[in-house]
Amino acid sequence: MQEFWSHPAAQGGVVPFVAGLVVAIALGRFKLAGLAVAVGFCACAYLLNGLAFVPLTATRKIILATLAAAAVGVVVDGAARPARSAGIVLSLAFGVAALWVFWSVLSQRSLQEAIASGAVAAAAVGVTVWLSHRLADSPVRAGSAALGLGLGAGVAAILGASATYGLYGIAIGAGAGAFLLVQMLTNRRTAAGWALVLPAAAGAALFAAGAVLLAKLAWYALVPLALISLVVRLPAPERMPVWVQAIVLSAYALAAAAASWVLAWKLGVE
Amino acid sequence: MSRIAIGLVAAALAAPASAASESFTIDPFHSHPHFVVNHLGFMDMTGRFDKMSGKITMDGAAKTGAIELVIETGSVTTGDSDKGTRPRSRDEHLRSPDFFNVAEFPRMTFKGTAAKWTGDFPSAIDGQLTLLGVTKPVTLTVEKWRCGPDPRTQGKRYMCGGNATGTIKRSDFGMKFGIPNVSDEIKLMIGLEAFRDQ
Repeated sequence: MQEFWSHPAAQGGVVPFVAGLVVAIALGRFKLAGLAVAVGFCACAYLLNGLAFVPLTATRKIILATLAAAAVGVVVDGAARPARSAGIVLSLAFGVAALWVFWSVLSQRSLQEAIASGAVAAAAVGVTVWLSHRLADSPVRAGSAALGLGLGAGVAAILGASATYGLYGIAIGAGAGAFLLVQMLTNRRTAAGWALVLPAAAGAALFAAGAVLLAKLAWYALVPLALISLVVRLPAPERMPVWVQAIVLSAYALAAAAASWVLAWKLGVE
Repeated sequence: MSRIAIGLVAAALAAPASAASESFTIDPFHSHPHFVVNHLGFMDMTGRFDKMSGKITMDGAAKTGAIELVIETGSVTTGDSDKGTRPRSRDEHLRSPDFFNVAEFPRMTFKGTAAKWTGDFPSAIDGQLTLLGVTKPVTLTVEKWRCGPDPRTQGKRYMCGGNATGTIKRSDFGMKFGIPNVSDEIKLMIGLEAFRDQ
């Protein structure tokens, strides 16, 4: 049994997917199915990191920031009428949070390098959150974007020399996949909300930025990832069953993710 | 001064280094920590860190001593640094957050005191290893130790050197990736030389 829990496929895939599936089914009626992403990610984080947060490394800060994003998302969803400025405020907030996350790395670099690296991380996270927040009311598009963001960041991180960050990213994708699967099987849209888009966008972007700053991922690979939430707004067959829409939109998202993988691979071998 | 007095003074000045506490600076070109890790239950893989610095203080008469080592984690090497057509090499992987996370923790340190002595030289060192921001106790067994004049300088420079071994569990320091395929238990082998400070 221990072999199962320590196997990467279980840590990054099976366990987060099953955890997300349980949540998507159980909490759908409460419009909290979007927590499938955060819960799936939590399951992976528990298997990889446990409950230790001392010392508070950059990786552990990313975990906390992702969980905080889910909590903030629930609060925003619960508001009778979320402020129109919520999107820009949260984008800026998580962009700044990226600087907090990677401060231990940035503080060891020269001022010029720190500013450049910090700007890349903050911009990647802020832009990804900004482009994702508008999907909160579109469950299938939101789920597809989260799937692409998670798998995109995860595989890119693996290509950038960090398998651990890869597993975290893939876990986000696995939770999103569970969220989508419930809709595909029931042919009914389930509320996604900020509770899904915020942890998916912030978490995936932070792990991708982490793979740039702490591993060998080229920063250019972050650009296609940030555009995933834009790509899923392309036309979809709205009158077709939900499962068809999910497949089409997920294909858009994964195509953008694949662009990131190609950049990560090509720049990695040069 | 009489010849006898001069002889006594000369004898006192030529007394062994252990007569008082002496400090030594690690020779970075002849000091390297090595490690051995088991891969998939098959072979034992050896790696090392190319950059180590530090200080030793020793008093053989009083049977006291201390050592402080600073190891640059980014200097880790297992002989696989050329990624070829792969997106990364093994040594690059070791520097990533999966293992030594060198961008965040560029150094690991060992601070110890000589706990046991055999004759005039230490045989065991009890210390604290700080790796990935976590500090844990580690005991090193001194396998060999010798002090004497550096033959390369016709005796003008005095040096000490030897080897010590120990064992740690990397998971104790938060380095959990790949367990058990890449073993949790790591054998340490530290070889060093140090010159007595003038």
